[in-house]
Amino acid sequence: MIRRWPGFLLFVFILLAWECASAFNWVDQVSIPRVSAIAQAWAASVQDGRLLAALGSTLGRIICGFAVAALVAVPLGLAMGSFALVYRLIEPLTEFVRPIPAAAYIPVAILFLGIGDEMKVFVVALACLFPILLNTYGGVRGVDPVLIDTGRTFGVPRLQALRQIVLPAALPSILTGMRISLGIALIVAVVAEMIAGNSGIGYYILDMQRSFRIPDMFAGIFTLGLVGFIINFAFLKIEQHFLRWRGTSVET
Amino acid sequence: MAAPIIELKDLAKTFSVHGRTLTVFENLSCRIEAGSFVSIVGPSGCGKSTLLKLMCGLDSPSAGTVLFQNRPVGGPARGMICVFQHYTRSILPWRDVMGNVAFGLNAAKKSLPPRQARDKCLQYIRLVGLEGYERYHPYQLSGGMQQRVCIARALICEPAVLLMDEPFSAVDAMTRAVLQELILKIRTTVPVTILFVTHDVDEAVFLSSRVIALGPAPASIRDDVAIDLPQPRDQIATREDGRFIATRQRLFASIFLQEKREQARAAPPQA
Repeated sequence: MIRRWPGFLLFVFILLAWECASAFNWVDQVSIPRVSAIAQAWAASVQDGRLLAALGSTLGRIICGFAVAALVAVPLGLAMGSFALVYRLIEPLTEFVRPIPAAAYIPVAILFLGIGDEMKVFVVALACLFPILLNTYGGVRGVDPVLIDTGRTFGVPRLQALRQIVLPAALPSILTGMRISLGIALIVAVVAEMIAGNSGIGYYILDMQRSFRIPDMFAGIFTLGLVGFIINFAFLKIEQHFLRWRGTSVET
Repeated sequence: MAAPIIELKDLAKTFSVHGRTLTVFENLSCRIEAGSFVSIVGPSGCGKSTLLKLMCGLDSPSAGTVLFQNRPVGGPARGMICVFQHYTRSILPWRDVMGNVAFGLNAAKKSLPPRQARDKCLQYIRLVGLEGYERYHPYQLSGGMQQRVCIARALICEPAVLLMDEPFSAVDAMTRAVLQELILKIRTTVPVTILFVTHDVDEAVFLSSRVIALGPAPASIRDDVAIDLPQPRDQIATREDGRFIATRQRLFASIFLQEKREQARAAPPQA
């Protein structure tokens, strides 16, 4: 953390420059309000609970969608990596569905699931699915053949080997997929909230913009930045915990 | 002569590479007696590792059969455990020393009460000289220590046959000498037949009771020598023994000289 001071310094410098630019009217003060005004709006909206409520419902959707995706993608990825038939069955479908941006499913999802949580959780889950699936599959295929032979020479049954050898060996790759998908989940959740519904931080930002409460809008955006940073940092810590047997720090 | 624990009958292995058939070896037959320490030596690429994989059922022959305790091998055989050359790729890096050895014990389906299982793991960790390192993870151990873990993990299954595929070729010379001592010590305490693949003729003669020499691919058994050097073997005395020197010369000759003669015949010097 201490070694990050140059980055923090730049951050503070940009905020100061922003404050000055707005205070001295170098930019339009209405569309780019002073940082201090944003901070005040942020403090007020945190205090009256609106921002945290919005954030809470967004995070809830991300966690649900992510959990659904992980529960489907990890076993499916393990199966695809272990059984050629499953791979040949699933692979063409994933290659077709994967390139479609998850946001493109929102209109369809609204038709079937409405504009509530179900739709958003579904879209988040769909967006999270492929990074986890492909990284799990890649991780399984990347397991050293010597390690597989080790399981075989010890007479470990195939399913047990999947749990005792393949899963732990593929774990670094699986966790990377999960971290990537968490970043995507945040994007997709916010987009879905902006398109439909009346809750969540995406809706909050759009609502503030429409009612010309620009400092509140920026407060929402800054909150997203902070949340994204915290999620990534927390997940890196989780990865480090699970992969401490590698003896090196996790690649960022 | 003791009953053969392994018998190879007209074993052949061919690979298909780009439509061409590549014969690794064919018509390979031999018998391995229980309790012996047999080394298989040969130049790299002669198929000695492939042969080891066929014996323990990790790979299947193109023709012929492998009999283990008079039963044909058709898949990874219980009672035979293979120790691999690349210990870093065979050890379970997410388990500590204790966990790796326990993996072997669990695989052997020996359901012991936890206390007894622990004691048994410790016993084998002690056998390979790793007491005090039970809670270390592989990344904290040297190469030689990691291979010791792999050996303990194999031995705890109490296999009838331990197959070792160039187990010491990835460690430095000093560590190799120490591991050779270890394997000789293990042989005196554990009743196990050892099949040892190496490209190091000296190592083969030093450790074994019998050495089988393979020629370059397509390989055949070029020589089969019983080693009657006195036990216990000693890194200095044994290697200076006249019989040691004579045997290694004989093996070198049968592996390489024949090859040189063939090359000379195939390409006569231009006038």
